Amino acid sequence: MDTLSNLLMGFSVALTPVNLLFCLLGVVMGTLIGALPGIGPSAGVAILLPVTFGMSPVTSIIMLCGIYYGAMYGGTITSVLINVPGESSSVMTAVDGYQMARKGRAGAALGIAAIGSFLAGTGGVVIFTFLAPLIARFALSFGPPEYFALMILGLTTLSGLTGRSMWKSLAAAAFGLMLSFVGMDIVTGVARFTFHRPDLLSGVDFLPVAIGLFGVGEVLASAESPAELEITRADLSLRKVFPTMADWVRSRRSILRGGVIGFLIGSLPGAGATMASFISYAVEKKSSRHPEEFGQGAIEGVAGPESANNSASVGALVPLLTLGVPGSATTAVMMGALMMYGLHPGPLLFQKNPDFVWGLVASMYIGNVLLVILNIAFIPAFVNVLRIPQRILSPLIVVFCMVGAYTLDNNLFDVWLMLLFGVLGYLMKKLDYPPAPLVLALVLGNLVETSLRQSLIISGGSMAIFVTRPISAVLLAIAAAVLLAPALRSLGRVIRVRASRA
Amino acid sequence: MRRHWLVTVVMVLALALLAGAACQKAPQQAKYPTKPIEFVVPFNPGGGSDILARNIVAVIEAEKLLPQPVQVVNKAGGSGAVGYGYLAEKKGDPYYIGTVSSSFWTTPLLGGAPFNYTMFTPVAGLCYDSYVLLVRQDSKFASLEDVLNAMKDKPEGLTIGATGVSSDDRVVTYLLEKAANVKFKLVPFQSGGEVMTALLGGHIDVAWANPGEARGQLDAKQARGLAVAAEKRLEGLPDVPTFNEKGINLVFRQLRGVVMPAGAPEDAVKVMEEVLKKVSESPKWKTDYVKRNDLVPTFLGAAEFKTAIEQMNNTYKQVFEELGVLKK
Repeated sequence: MDTLSNLLMGFSVALTPVNLLFCLLGVVMGTLIGALPGIGPSAGVAILLPVTFGMSPVTSIIMLCGIYYGAMYGGTITSVLINVPGESSSVMTAVDGYQMARKGRAGAALGIAAIGSFLAGTGGVVIFTFLAPLIARFALSFGPPEYFALMILGLTTLSGLTGRSMWKSLAAAAFGLMLSFVGMDIVTGVARFTFHRPDLLSGVDFLPVAIGLFGVGEVLASAESPAELEITRADLSLRKVFPTMADWVRSRRSILRGGVIGFLIGSLPGAGATMASFISYAVEKKSSRHPEEFGQGAIEGVAGPESANNSASVGALVPLLTLGVPGSATTAVMMGALMMYGLHPGPLLFQKNPDFVWGLVASMYIGNVLLVILNIAFIPAFVNVLRIPQRILSPLIVVFCMVGAYTLDNNLFDVWLMLLFGVLGYLMKKLDYPPAPLVLALVLGNLVETSLRQSLIISGGSMAIFVTRPISAVLLAIAAAVLLAPALRSLGRVIRVRASRA
Repeated sequence: MRRHWLVTVVMVLALALLAGAACQKAPQQAKYPTKPIEFVVPFNPGGGSDILARNIVAVIEAEKLLPQPVQVVNKAGGSGAVGYGYLAEKKGDPYYIGTVSSSFWTTPLLGGAPFNYTMFTPVAGLCYDSYVLLVRQDSKFASLEDVLNAMKDKPEGLTIGATGVSSDDRVVTYLLEKAANVKFKLVPFQSGGEVMTALLGGHIDVAWANPGEARGQLDAKQARGLAVAAEKRLEGLPDVPTFNEKGINLVFRQLRGVVMPAGAPEDAVKVMEEVLKKVSESPKWKTDYVKRNDLVPTFLGAAEFKTAIEQMNNTYKQVFEELGVLKK
């Protein structure tokens, strides 16, 4: 009951005209920032942070958080329409969302993403409202060995992302892993594969790679066969741009699963929304009755990851507000903001500044409602992008990608990197190598290596640390099961066939 | 005849341009700044350098200390290499200033950076950030002595969290190991947030943190400060003893300040030095920045800051040499 009265008090804070206005401003800007490749939520929050100086802390954090989860909605738009992931957690959305758009179902993809984001985002806020301390304890139970096990599980999902040839997927993943070696080694401080370029000291950034592989690669490929798009005017009519009942029935379980996975993984400071969307995609593919549709425009492949990245953004606020440690790059910026307002995030925040915490929580309920209305209302407008003739749209996309890569760190190097990966993306497409495993391996490679070496330092070199700790043991067992399941299944089939013959 | 006319026009135009340029230059020398100043932060927003820069700008704006705006620009990457490299390229241009934090020294000493401290003009040093040795609240170690005694019984050592291997955490760990004759198992993490999470989760035994960073956990009694590597106890942490009180000779602090590119005009340096002096004296600075982040305020003018920069460089150089990570 206590929680409910706190929440009610929170709504009285969030519903003041000023806070409501900045909540709306935040979610609108978040949607735009999410849609622009390169400017992800963390950069967006950082750029707009100075604007908030002089506002009351609760108003500014309401706006900043609005940007954060608004970006999760916005990231979908460019992924679906032009195959350019707006931010890192929308990479998986591009895989099936763009295929849906090519089949004239862009509206359905955007619609289900908005609905899924709303349900998972709101669900995340409900869990936050009632279970935040419990989730915080869960997040703390993850040390380096647990992260290692989680990342290994993430890598096994590669088998869920494969295109037509498993070997080509593995080759792409191996290349991604090699890219993740670039940069300063965290344990010894040695610069690896940097070729004396300071730009490479912090490694190959994931976004220029993803924008290049997906966006520019697609533009180059479509320049070759411009008439391929199967969109007719009728496909863009109002009636056809929204998801159908059948879409909803197919997606509802994906949304639920994606929401839960996203919240839990999002609350882990070392994992985050990107990881959550990858795992959700893999889970959807594994549990689907028609896995062959994945990669060709399966709506579950949009619903799951989009729901996951939204609830992950709420989950990431748990460690920030309850423990005072940032759960993601964006919440790290927010923590800086809180400290500038003179608030020290941590358990005492709930006691010392209840109006702040509960006002923020209440604003997230409101913000999600605003976002789902906004996003669905604008679907017809967004879908109109597809009416632009290819010869005009393609150069625009390339410009868009270049600006996006530059804004990431205000560094031209990233633009060249992005273009390089654009060419690679084109070649990979021609040769039928899927780009997603490369991107996933690049993201996970670093984390796997770091957590492995941290664990071994802690254990003094003994591998037993991974199996003697319950959480990591369970995660590794699941990973082993995922890897061995197809082999066991075919083995079982062989035995059965032999038995029936005998 | 026609050609003559053309030459005349060109000459007149050239003269006009020259005069224009001279006119533009004259007042610029008279009173810096005549155009907006770019404040380069070689790290991401929300970090220590960013908070420093934004607080400086906030005070300058609130007290109207400069006639021109100061724009904070984050150029992160390569442990400061990208941002400092960018700033160093603006040789002689006082319209670019940058923050100084430990990477200013450590990144070049570790190699692979296109800059070192001699490529900058010191302007002013503003504060010291201290390092506190922390344990979890329910840790079995109640004091620094407990930790050190445990280390003597346990030759494989306790685990200590640090951000990276070339960080201040590593340096202060090494100095502690030397001063107390013990050996820790250093576990590197990507960020201070990850170190704190691992400490609270009980995955590592002890960790270093800046007092401002750990304020939330200290106040909430989730973490306990065992000792601080400062000259005297911090105002914000009156119960935490210094290492010196415990008989261990260890003082190590991070110096924060502001630099310009090498060869910046003296008068511009002087103007900025004066502005930063006023910043450091303003009440807004003291409450919004120094107190909130538990810093030790100081003011080092350009000359003193230059000496301090050299001293810091020597300290880092010596430690890195002994650790075997120094790049020559």
